[in-house]
Parts: sequence; C-alpha cells; structure tokens
Amino acid sequence: MSHVVLNGVTKRYGAQLALDAVDVSVDKGEMLALLGPSGCGKTTLLRCIAGLNDADAGTISIGGADVTRMPARKRPIGMVFQSYALFPNLSAAKNVAFPLTVRRRERKETAARVEELLALVGLEEHGHKLPNQLSGGQQQRVALARALAPDPEVLLLDEPLSALDAQVRTRLRDEVRRIQHQVGITTVFVTHDQSEALAISDRVAVMNAGRIEQCATPPEVYAAPSTRFAAGFVGNRNTLELPVADGRVAWGGAFDVEAPSGERALCLFRPEDVEIGADGPGLAATVDVKVFLGAVTRVYATCDGTTVFADVPSRSAAGLEDGQKVFVRVAPEHVQVFAA
Amino acid sequence: MRSRIGSRVFLALLALYFALPLVAALLYSLATKWGDTVLPSGYTLHWWVDVFSRPEVSGALGRSLVLTAVTLAIDVLLVVPAAYWSVVHNPRIGSVVQTVTVIPFAIPWVVIAAGLQLIVKDTVPQLFGTFWLLAAATAAIAFPFLYWAVENSLLAADARRLSEAAATCGAHPMVTLVRVVLPAIRGGIVSGSLLVAATAMNEFALAKVLVGTRYETLPLWSARVFTSRTGNDPNALAVITIFTFGLLFALSALVVWLGRGKSASSTLALARTSSSAEKG
Repeated sequence: MSHVVLNGVTKRYGAQLALDAVDVSVDKGEMLALLGPSGCGKTTLLRCIAGLNDADAGTISIGGADVTRMPARKRPIGMVFQSYALFPNLSAAKNVAFPLTVRRRERKETAARVEELLALVGLEEHGHKLPNQLSGGQQQRVALARALAPDPEVLLLDEPLSALDAQVRTRLRDEVRRIQHQVGITTVFVTHDQSEALAISDRVAVMNAGRIEQCATPPEVYAAPSTRFAAGFVGNRNTLELPVADGRVAWGGAFDVEAPSGERALCLFRPEDVEIGADGPGLAATVDVKVFLGAVTRVYATCDGTTVFADVPSRSAAGLEDGQKVFVRVAPEHVQVFAA
Repeated sequence: MRSRIGSRVFLALLALYFALPLVAALLYSLATKWGDTVLPSGYTLHWWVDVFSRPEVSGALGRSLVLTAVTLAIDVLLVVPAAYWSVVHNPRIGSVVQTVTVIPFAIPWVVIAAGLQLIVKDTVPQLFGTFWLLAAATAAIAFPFLYWAVENSLLAADARRLSEAAATCGAHPMVTLVRVVLPAIRGGIVSGSLLVAATAMNEFALAKVLVGTRYETLPLWSARVFTSRTGNDPNALAVITIFTFGLLFALSALVVWLGRGKSASSTLALARTSSSAEKG
C-alpha cells in the first residue's frame, strides 16, 4: 500500500528546473533511497515532502491525506539533517523530548519515551550531555531519536551520514537500517553515495536533472540499469563506444550483442563481469597493472589501444603477470547497450 | 626570536598609548594639586565625594541611565526579530539591511540630528525636543552594533537549519524563536547590547542638537562643565570620565566572565566605541 505519494511534483528556482514533474510513491514500512549527483534535485524532493520547500505544482500525500499546502510543523514527519541540527542549548535527552514538549505531551509519558528512544539508538548513558559534548556519530543518533520521538508516519533522512568519517559511517548506516526495520517506519533517504543507497534501502530512485531515471530494488538498479545515466552512475563500469553493424555491436571476440538503431552504440559492463583467461575464446589483450583490493584484484588490460578493468578473485589473479598476454571476454547478458 | 621581542615592544607601546590617558585622568580625579610635578603632590577622595553629592550630576547620571535603558529596549525589540527574519526567512533582504547599517557611520551624527530635527518639526511636532525623540534617534544610530552581533551569531549557530529542524519537530515559529534560536544567540545579543549601551551612555551630538538643556545627560553635563571655566571642575570631569569608563568596563568584564571567554572580543570592541563615542 502506498503510504507517501508524489504526483507531478515540480519546483523551480528562477529559470532552473529543480524538480520536473516527479511521480514517486513509497510503501508503508519501506525505505526508499533518493540517489543522484549533487544538484539532481534529491534534497529538494525530500524538502518538498517535509514541507520545508513548497512545490510549484503537483500534489503530495501522506497516509492518504493531501499535505501539499500544509506547513512542515503540521506534517506527520520526522527529519534528520546532514549537519545534525541539534539544539545546542538543550541536552541530548531534551533534544529528543522537544517534539513531545511542543505537542504538550504529559511529562511522565515524555520521560518514558525519551528513555526508550535513547536506548534504541544506544545512548542511554549520554542523555544529560550537551550536543557539543558528543561525537558526530552520537549527535546523529540523537537527531534520529528526536525525529522518531513523536512517532511520525514518515522518516526523512537528508544525507545523514555524509558528515561522518568512514568507519562511523558504515556502522551507523547499518544501524539506521536496523532501527528502521525495528520501528517499521516508512523512510525516504537522500544520498549521493551509491553503496549507501544499495546497502540499506528497499528501493532506489536514481535521480538526474530533476527527474527520476529509474526506481527499482538495489539488485535491479545494479544489474539492469534502465537508462544510460543510471548505468553510468551506479557502480563502476567499463564504457566503450563501438560501431554498429547489421543491428549488432561487437568488441573483437570479447562480446557480440544486439544494438539499438544508430551508427554507434555505448556498451557498459561491470569489472566483475569481465573474464580474463590465459586461453581463448575472447579478445587478445595485455595485462598492464594489477591493483590488490583484498578479496578481489583489479586488473587493467589493454587491447587495440583500449584499456578495460576487470575485478578478478585475488586467488586467480595471483597467476597473472604484468605484460602477460591474456584473453578478455564478457557474457552478452552482462553488457548494457545504449544508443550513443 | 627578534620578531618576538619586536612584537612585545610594540604591544607594550600600544598598551601605554591606551592606558596613559586613563591613568592620567584617574590620578587627576584623586589629586589634591597637580601642577609642575611629574606626579600629583597629594591624593584625596574629595572630588569623587563632591561630584556625586551634586544633584545636577546624579540627575544627569540618572537621565543617561534611563536613556541607555530605553535605547537598549528599543534596539533589542526591533533588531533581534528583524535579524532573525532576514537570516532565517528572507536572506534576500539581508543586503538591504546591511546597507542601512552603514548609514550611521557614513553620515556624521550631528547631521543626522539636524536632519531629524527638520523632519520632525514638520511631521510630528509633538515629538520635537522630547526625550522620546532622543531615545529613538540614539536607538537608530546604535542599532548596527547589535544587528552585526546578532546576525553573526545567527549565522554561526546556523539558525536557519535549527529553525527548520524545530519546524519538523512540530514547533510554531514563535516557540522556535524563544526556545531554540534565542538561547543559541544569547552571546551575540549580550555583546551587541553592551555596544549599544556604551554608545547611548556616551552619545553627545544627538543629545546636544535634539534636546539640549531640556534633558541634560552625562555627556552634556561634561561638555557644559568643560566649557564653563569655573573653579576646580577639571577634577570633576576626570571623576566622571573614569566613572563612565569603569562602569562600562565592569559591565563588559561581567559579560566576558559569564560567557566564559566565548565573547572575549566584546571588551575590546566596547573600549573602542566608548572612546570614539566620547570624541563624537
């Protein structure tokens, strides 16, 4: 059941179209990631759902109720900001209590709820501390607890992990997912980090230039991008522009697939889908350099003056030498072809 | 090493430059007689007792304090919400406000006072020559100090983001202002207020032109005594100079101490305006 529904949401900043008639819906209890490069409109879209930006056209409904013209403070939402935005003069516990006290909840009920939420985010011991006495990760946990405090229908996360360092970031990312599951709250999560989006969301909406290019589950977005932009943005890919002949496009003996109409086609394939073997079939190539990445080794190989990269299990890569002659091939189902 | 010694010497000279007039005034206010000797020939509290037992002085002091309080009230009530609005809700008016804040420094205060005099005479003659006109004019020339301090703390506290966060928490804008924004910018309000107070306490040009003898403030009294050439009054002037400086210095030291060093710069800024207002 669709819990949050956006219909034709459009937003302009002067001459610039930030959102171009965006349609998207989020199911109850689902986590949707809005993924895209900076300036693609993902944060604007989130702020429209929050009521911090007004949409110029289109409608937004939450739980069946039209909230398009409703001010942010009346919407059933909780929001977490990239910069934490904790109230600096209030302790962690008072920050979490804030949404409840402005709603004039009973003092006992508020205290119990604050305790419950601080426990949920693992900060039972830190309730008395001021925000500047907490680490970045801790501050963002408090912000998450504050957003969840009034039991909103929708949780909105605006790049919540971007200000954190790498280690804290992964840990908190998984924890956000755990908490979201545990609470079962419908969530929209804005990020420019594809691994973050793929790791914790139920569906990913890939955005570009104010539009949603593709909205699908992480495996679908990863394996079968529906547009050239989505293919280029999600994951690392080799990109080759090749001539089309008789409705097919081929790269030596490496692959041969159907092509869209046009003289040239753009072929994209992932490094883990490139096979490198000592014998054919395939396209003859030379190993340039190997980069050890742990479980896999990235092998750069050149054929006909074109360099491709392949992620090979490190055990098999151990047998490859720099300068060695090899054969490169890609299974046809792993090559995405778009008109150039 | 040499540059460190150089900077110390420079700092010492600077300190001497600022401190000497104050020390001289202090000594003079305590001197029995200070003629052709390097230091006074004797010390007494006579001038201090004498000055503060004069009804005209306590009256002028009271009037200056009332003027300062009213100016401060007008500025805080007008400037804080305006700065909040310009930073949080409508950054586009920020540049207009910035331009307006320069006016009191671009135009001499005597000219501002004369201009006000002319306008008020024709439009609201009831205000002409009243305390309220003086208070409004003083508030108008002193407001930039408060505006700058408040705007800076609003930006430093990221009041815009805080207001948005409060809105998503369900808070009404008034609740946000009182419970979230004001506590976050308290330091800026206090240090800006100090500068406004110092300006109002020392302001001379507006008071001279707008109210003159009808509302004699401490600076007006000082000027009258300074030009009247009767008897031993230079000592009385020294007493009032040291008293005003001491009052403002104590106030700003208190603020610095309360702010635990967060707004340490306010003392310096205060000393600067206090001396420039004295000249103006």
